[in-house]
Amino acid sequence: MAEKEIIDNIEGEYKYGFTSDIETETIGKGLSEEVIRIISEKKGEPEWMLERRLAAFRHWQGMKLPQWAHLDIPEIDFQDIIYYAAPKATKKLGSMDEVDPELKRTFDKLGIPLEEQMALAGVAVDAVMDSVSVKTTFRETLAEKGIIFCSISEAIKEYPELIKKYLGRVVPHTDNFYAALNAAVFSDGSFCYIPKGVRCPMELSTYFRINAEGTGQFERTLLVADEGSYVSYLEGCTAPRRDENQLHAAVVEIIVEKDAEVKYSTVQNWYPGDENGKGGIYNFVTKRGLCHENARLSWTQVETGSAITWKYPSCVLLGDNSVGEFYSVAMTNNYQQADTGTKMIHIGRNTRSRIVSKGISAGRSQNAYRGLVRVAKGADNARNYSQCDSLLIGDKCGAHTFPEIDSNNPTAVLEHEATTSKISEEQLFYCNQRGLSTEDAVGLIVNGYAREVLAKLPMEFAVEAQKLLAISLEGSVG
Amino acid sequence: MGLLDYLQEQGIDLESSGGIVTAADNSQVEVVINPNNLDVTVAENDRKSVLVLHTKADSSRMVFDVHPCASLRVVDVYLGGCFAESVVRQQAGSVCDITSVVTSGAVVDYMVDMNGKQASNALKSIFLSRGEEYCKVAVRVNHNYSDCTSNSLVKGVASGKSKGEFNGMVYVAQDAQRTDARQNSRNIELGGEAKIITKPQLEIYADDVKCSHGATVGQLDSEAILYMRQRGLSEMQARRLQIEGFAKDIVYSSSAFGDVLAEELNRFLEEI
Amino acid sequence: MLSIKNLCASVDNKQILRGINLEVRAGEVHAIMGPNGSGKSTLASVLAGNEKFTVTDGSVEFLEQNLLELPIEDRARMGLFLGFQYPVEIPGVTMANFMKMAVNEQRKFRGEEPLSAGEFLRMMREKSAIVELDSKLTNRAVNEGFSGGEKKKNEIFQMAMLEPKLSVLDETDSGLDIDALRIVATGVTRLHNEQNATVVITHYQRLLDYIVPDYVHVLYKGRIIYTGDKTLALKLEKEGYDWLINDYKE
Repeated sequence: MAEKEIIDNIEGEYKYGFTSDIETETIGKGLSEEVIRIISEKKGEPEWMLERRLAAFRHWQGMKLPQWAHLDIPEIDFQDIIYYAAPKATKKLGSMDEVDPELKRTFDKLGIPLEEQMALAGVAVDAVMDSVSVKTTFRETLAEKGIIFCSISEAIKEYPELIKKYLGRVVPHTDNFYAALNAAVFSDGSFCYIPKGVRCPMELSTYFRINAEGTGQFERTLLVADEGSYVSYLEGCTAPRRDENQLHAAVVEIIVEKDAEVKYSTVQNWYPGDENGKGGIYNFVTKRGLCHENARLSWTQVETGSAITWKYPSCVLLGDNSVGEFYSVAMTNNYQQADTGTKMIHIGRNTRSRIVSKGISAGRSQNAYRGLVRVAKGADNARNYSQCDSLLIGDKCGAHTFPEIDSNNPTAVLEHEATTSKISEEQLFYCNQRGLSTEDAVGLIVNGYAREVLAKLPMEFAVEAQKLLAISLEGSVG
Repeated sequence: MGLLDYLQEQGIDLESSGGIVTAADNSQVEVVINPNNLDVTVAENDRKSVLVLHTKADSSRMVFDVHPCASLRVVDVYLGGCFAESVVRQQAGSVCDITSVVTSGAVVDYMVDMNGKQASNALKSIFLSRGEEYCKVAVRVNHNYSDCTSNSLVKGVASGKSKGEFNGMVYVAQDAQRTDARQNSRNIELGGEAKIITKPQLEIYADDVKCSHGATVGQLDSEAILYMRQRGLSEMQARRLQIEGFAKDIVYSSSAFGDVLAEELNRFLEEI
Repeated sequence: MLSIKNLCASVDNKQILRGINLEVRAGEVHAIMGPNGSGKSTLASVLAGNEKFTVTDGSVEFLEQNLLELPIEDRARMGLFLGFQYPVEIPGVTMANFMKMAVNEQRKFRGEEPLSAGEFLRMMREKSAIVELDSKLTNRAVNEGFSGGEKKKNEIFQMAMLEPKLSVLDETDSGLDIDALRIVATGVTRLHNEQNATVVITHYQRLLDYIVPDYVHVLYKGRIIYTGDKTLALKLEKEGYDWLINDYKE
């Protein structure tokens, strides 16, 4: 089988590589207390929020870039980044018709069902164009149930008590370099609050999109599921093609109160750079959830984008009987680098966690799983099962596994398994013989390999994710 | 009979640097006691057996050069809190089997370099920690050439307030196709304050490889203890039998010293 | 030998046994039958002393002693043997080593000297013949990699080694093909004598073709609702439990 051909053809064109021309309001490059004051002022924030930002900034100044990941990160000049960009809002938008036609076209090209079909799809979308929320839909439907779903800037003004109570509680600004940076300069993001005992009637979703050239994007998401509530939250991202690297340092915090359940699904397909490794997004994300008694948090991610991914959605299992799950497919091609995984911190008794990670590396990419399972002293009867598989396509890529198990309680039962495999020539031959093209065969095999994770996604996302895997692999096999 | 008694019976002066013994399987084994520096070379097509005994708190650096198609067996025993570093360099077609038994708070580091094709390495290690000891076994296997096989199995038992740690790494270089590498870490925590940390890691740059690793941390199987008690064994006996069963395949991977190493294991179990 | 009075037991606060009364004398064979979930295996576990179950009421006397206050291993050493429905695999522990300990613990309990290695080996060989157990199996780890039939034969082999006063065999016939069933059942019958007693828990009458019971009890919802002789098993096989259960409901 012509494996060389397989490799030679790894150059799937990035489907969403276009730029939309929307007037963008930006401030100058660089970061200082002054810049933070401007950001806060432009957003019309209260004084306490500014104080929080400044505290984070001062802390960040004393921090060093983390170096432990299996990533080769070009030096980032944090003074050469624009920290605020918003589409110029000439006036308040009353209806969909008032949205900039160019912006609408952008969303249409992405296939975001922002208009009527959303009602049919049962999806409420808080679409983020660069850093400011432009349009939020289905607020009324949700409001009937007492569910709050809005941009975080709005929430800061309208629900200051909730924000003060929860923001920074799971990921404090002291947590890590990028979390501190985010806490200082976060532009916008989503806030979601599900009241006690409420089952959110629809999948909540947000589409992030990086648009303005040379703009760092610092999303902040806060999701609170109060006692006994349930929500499934979808986060999907596409970004237009750029030659310059763009920095993205988001923070997602989730609080799952007693008896509540949260499913958080992500499909990430930001611009990964071209086939020579030029351009692409740098994605440094901190995602963490705190689970109280009997709570359940499930992270599902399909990562195919970004030039560099540094991301470890984690669960702090604080309450007794709480459950954490992490299902991940991470695919890298060309010169992409990914260092992703999870942390399961067992603190409460009878806590359980499950990790299923499927890495796929093609081209000259490097794909690493990094995981930590920690069982605290008082976490009696903690259980974890981890499975981390790697699939290699071609002999120029790398697949790595860096798990750590740290058990401080002898009633813990923890298991970790990992395998590494390639797509065998026999498999390809068999598929070819039954009439499949090699590319289809690879798509089939890869989707089969990732099925356990894809099955965890909500239906409409699963289809998109399958397509994405195929697109990202385009040309990786001859 | 424990290892020390056995060696003395075989005429080895434990205060000396070692000697030669004829082992239970009739092989000639070079015994080395508490080396600070040790260089062992096995010439092409030759074979050698070495028993290294560490009985005290000290540091030790050992280098094992295994030439093409040569075969080396190492039994590495830690009865004292030693800091040890072993480097194994294997050339094409060579075979190296290592049995490592650590019954004290030692820090033991193995680095195996596959420097030629079709070399094969099997490492079996058990560490047992008690009291407030800290015991660590690290194994790094570098597959620098194609068609090599490695299989590492490291078992740990932490009791009392002790902490046991395994740090493993299998590295497969870009050209090391058809590598078959296995790494397993199995651990048991006994008692409320024992700790286990395990890091079984893989770093792979070649695609036609069979690499797998696994790690478990658990405790004794309560069902099995119940079963044995139903047959009249006391809980203590049942627990001990299980630990023995857990550790046995490691100590008996040394055909030459299986029985005496099993006795060392027993002595450890008596004391916890 | 065994006297159970109003035995009630629960697991995880769920009441399973609701007042069992049963008398077993030396030389007798009792069969306990009943639909799934009626409490048959629970009864076996409680008698053996599985700590998962809580005895909430009643008493059990075994050889004139209060069985319920004894730890599980002392019950075993006194001569109570439980043949497990699902024998546990114990990796790395050889059958020979395991049995040697078990036999000698029992001897110690009775104030006897431990067996010498030679005596023990002879005993192993002799007893393994009873159940046609491949002698190689005794060098393997306990139940590890044994087939379903081998595991059950192994249970009867251990029963032969330990020579219990009372054997409670929990679904020893489940999962056996006809040959294995014959071997296991004949083994049990050969071990039976006037000094010991056997309680067989089973779903099927086919086992009772080999092991002929003096009494057949039907357990339902945690109580023995009917007791008959060996013909009851045949009737149950033919007609099921409905007629009994219906009676019971009325």
